[in-house]
Amino acid sequence: MAQITFFRYIHKDTILHRMDPRLKLLCLLLLSLSASLAAEPCHYFVPLFIVAIALFAARLPILALLRDMWFFALLIIIVLVSNAFNVPGDPIPEQIFGTKIISWIKLPDTLRYPEFILQSVSVQGVVAGLRFAGRLILILMVCTVMTGTTSLLAFKNTIEWFLRPIPFIPEVRVATIINLVFVLIPVIFDTYTEMMNAQKSRCVGLRKNPFKRVSFIAFPLLSRTLRRADEIVYAMESRCYSETRTRAEFRTNKIDWLVFSVCLAILLFVIFISE
Amino acid sequence: MPNNTIFNLRFTVYCALFIALIIIGGYISIPIPVGPVPITLADFFVMVAGLFLGWKYGLVSVTLYILLGALGMPVFSSGTAGLAILFGPTGGYLFGYLLLVTAVGFVSGKLRPSFFSYLVALIIGNILLYLAGVSWLKFLLNMSWASAAAIGFFPFVIGIVIKIAVAAALGCALLPRFRQAMVSASAQQSNTGDE
Repeated sequence: MAQITFFRYIHKDTILHRMDPRLKLLCLLLLSLSASLAAEPCHYFVPLFIVAIALFAARLPILALLRDMWFFALLIIIVLVSNAFNVPGDPIPEQIFGTKIISWIKLPDTLRYPEFILQSVSVQGVVAGLRFAGRLILILMVCTVMTGTTSLLAFKNTIEWFLRPIPFIPEVRVATIINLVFVLIPVIFDTYTEMMNAQKSRCVGLRKNPFKRVSFIAFPLLSRTLRRADEIVYAMESRCYSETRTRAEFRTNKIDWLVFSVCLAILLFVIFISE
Repeated sequence: MPNNTIFNLRFTVYCALFIALIIIGGYISIPIPVGPVPITLADFFVMVAGLFLGWKYGLVSVTLYILLGALGMPVFSSGTAGLAILFGPTGGYLFGYLLLVTAVGFVSGKLRPSFFSYLVALIIGNILLYLAGVSWLKFLLNMSWASAAAIGFFPFVIGIVIKIAVAAALGCALLPRFRQAMVSASAQQSNTGDE
């Protein structure tokens, strides 16, 4: 888990890496809005296509990213299956494009109810599952591009810049908290896998009592991460962390505005097409 | 409070820690033997945040968690994000987290620290959480109270009981040490961290 690549900054020198982080954050907002507004599964294709181009343009290690995302693939499969069976609606038509579906699936004689299985799957369920999958993939890809091309410091400065005009909010502290969240997530994941491996080797998985299982996860995880947090506090203190700092400067060029307008166009396209 | 820097820095880091734990809790799910709905640990960590941080800082961390999700980071349970989720059918639970953390922090702060006071605080918080979640479901999807509760409450009852019990036990086991660290940190704020 320590080598996990998604949601981590990967240093390269590309257009997206050089882009003004403020505009990049706005692009993230626009794209996630268009992901939530898109109604039909096919509406995701345009944003997905553009984000895939961005993923290539940012020269992120795509294969390594895909390998790390097996967890989400599992999740998508579970949601697809459970939606297909549980959402009420019309059954799948027996013939699609003139061919019978049943003839595609060749099951051994012991499983003799393929018709029954297909009848309990609904069209609306499959569509709902695909919609969830499209939304999740789009959001994950956008976030991968965002976090892969923006260093934590730039991200923090951007949040600080956006919060500055809002009164009564200590913008530096809020930006620090959000920054620390991204530092702490891999730390907690590492602690979690370490702890689970230690428990697995002691056969804790054989216990079925849910009270015991939750407490075996929660107790060590919390006490260890609290200790880690203390270490971070001392580290920050000994490096003279202070909330009064020099303000960051941002530079915007024409390419940044071009990328931003592409994102805006995607949002408008999705709004237009779903009406 | 500019003269209270260590105390503040500590809480800043702890707020971040609990946001990270809530995010990860959304990804960790434990299958329960009775039903298809797994227990997500996100609300468990919201409860723990209320117990450990108190209502003020707990509220800060849950608010920032929701803000991160609204910005489009995949932080809500099972990797979803965006305003559509926040104002969708399950959004009531996300706003219910605010009530949960406030109630747990406030009640457990008022009572004498013991297993039962944590239990009372957690039960009050959970009642508020599921009231918010189920009534949101009812009014958004135009369902009857019974069917909304059937989707939004009954599958989770066993999970709630387990989570409340473990959270209260966790409070008993770790809170005294945690509070002691807090107190010693705020006491030695003048001579910086010579531990």
